Amino acid sequence: MAQRGATTKKLILGILIIAGIAIPFFSGNFIIRFFTNTLMFAVLASAWNIIGGYTGYASFGNVVFLGIGAYVSAVLMEKGGVPFWLAFPASGFGAAIFAVLIGLPVLRLKGHYFAIATLGVAEAMKALVDNLEITEGNSGIYLPMMNLSVKAQYIFFYFMMMGVLTLTLVVTYIMLKKKLGYGLIAIREDEEAANSLGVNATLFKVTSFALSGFFSGLAGSLYAFQQGFIKPESVFDVGVTVKMIVMAVFGGIGSLLGPLLGALSIEVISEILTNYFLVAHTLFFGAIVILAIVFTPKGIMDIISGRKKFGINYLLQNIRDHRV
Amino acid sequence: MLLQIIVNGILKGGLYALMALGMSLIWGVMDIINIAHGAFIMLGAYCTYWLFNLWGVDPFISLFLSIIFMFIIGYGIQRYLINLVIRATIFITLILAFGIEIFINNLALVMWTADVRKVQVPYGASNFSIGCVTIPYVRLGAFFIALVIALVFYFVLNKTRTGRSIRATAQDLDAARLVGVDVAKTYALTFGMGVGAAGAAGTLWAVLFPINPMMGGILTLKSFVVVIIGGLGTMFGPIIGGLTLGVAEALGSNWFGTTYENFISFTILVLVLIFLPKGILGKSE
Repeated sequence: MAQRGATTKKLILGILIIAGIAIPFFSGNFIIRFFTNTLMFAVLASAWNIIGGYTGYASFGNVVFLGIGAYVSAVLMEKGGVPFWLAFPASGFGAAIFAVLIGLPVLRLKGHYFAIATLGVAEAMKALVDNLEITEGNSGIYLPMMNLSVKAQYIFFYFMMMGVLTLTLVVTYIMLKKKLGYGLIAIREDEEAANSLGVNATLFKVTSFALSGFFSGLAGSLYAFQQGFIKPESVFDVGVTVKMIVMAVFGGIGSLLGPLLGALSIEVISEILTNYFLVAHTLFFGAIVILAIVFTPKGIMDIISGRKKFGINYLLQNIRDHRV
Repeated sequence: MLLQIIVNGILKGGLYALMALGMSLIWGVMDIINIAHGAFIMLGAYCTYWLFNLWGVDPFISLFLSIIFMFIIGYGIQRYLINLVIRATIFITLILAFGIEIFINNLALVMWTADVRKVQVPYGASNFSIGCVTIPYVRLGAFFIALVIALVFYFVLNKTRTGRSIRATAQDLDAARLVGVDVAKTYALTFGMGVGAAGAAGTLWAVLFPINPMMGGILTLKSFVVVIIGGLGTMFGPIIGGLTLGVAEALGSNWFGTTYENFISFTILVLVLIFLPKGILGKSE
């Protein structure tokens, strides 16, 4: 059975890679844009998975890294005249440094308290950027235009976002094979036991948070450059945090490809809903989130890994496990 | 001038306390962070708005209807939805609550549009003065109602059989079940009480401020701040937290400008979490 799971995974990965490379050459701007957006959410969900899934710290403020990445690029490029190729990595490192500074005190909190603290950090940053002069406050900030044809721009951002996603997944994969990955999972399962076995929990947790911040920051930089204009409400939106967590959970927390699959399926579902129900699509989205959480709390990866037979019984068993 | 600002802060703090009361109860008993709390406040506000606009029911009377209505909704949601996943990891209940919030907010948006609405009571502007401090009657009324509801909560939790089973369930689920507490029902009652308090907060909010279907998000966040500042596990935590936040916001907006109001609340939140993780009144474990 495990063998079948591994084959299914390889097959899905292969299809995703081929489709991912082929899409921009066979489709119009709208589709490319849609998939660029999906890739961005895949990056965010995968980055969240590092701190939320593997380390077990439910960050409810990961959007703050997207926002910081976006604003570092915007301010550097617009106010400092820095070229994109420098602003782009600077955004990642800016977000990572912020993650270290915030993580040192905040990662001492556990469970709900950590969740609320990160949420508070994100909201406080939104309010701060809203008021600062260098970020042009709540009127938003423009970024320089790109010197490329429209189609070329779409393809450029598509492949850049895909590059960031690949980097995120590869780094996560390597991390899982190293001491860091084992340490993080040990922390998730039992932090005190991990500590007593010589895992430097603080260092590991902060590293994990910084990695999560780094990739989200890179995504933020690309998002800002493609949009050409950003506002605090859009890049520090709590809704984005919710979306990335829902994607990670829907795909499968603590699995490498789960968040990617989650992002893909949630984005496709919301796009279809938006097409059919112009006003009420978010209503249906809420309903889907509720149903998915109740019936498949372990995510798609749990189903396709083939360890358990999928059917009505599988769905009901999930409820039996967790109800009172 | 300073005194007036502090009084304003205290009066608003009473409302914050009421908002947080329900969230604190649900959090303390079931370990659920009810992210949909603001959405329930919004429903309570609309309940009052429609009763007032369609039949002219005074908000201070529709308060009771709003509490009962929201209690029933809360009871049902816990009994038939949240109870299904309550023993899963914390992500699951958090995201379920998010799903409920998205659903309720957008249902309200579809039914009632995004228009900003107001409950215009004839006595809305009347006030009285003590020395140099002006106090609007409506705000004072809202403040006292918040305190009365907190007292009712305290009484129910500490002096009744239901309250005993709620406290028992909060302390130890399995032990409570062993001595014959119907846990599923107790959870539903607790959630119903919390959401009922949110409904009351919504009614009072509708009297004081304009309402719209998306007003809940920021109120949920403020309720967090209040719960955290006050500390979990005591009925007086939300009151202390609410008053602290109300006064801090009023003073902060005065010194730094109103646009910094949210920055101040969330900075307080993070600082309290880091330095006083159990809150001002929180019991240590």
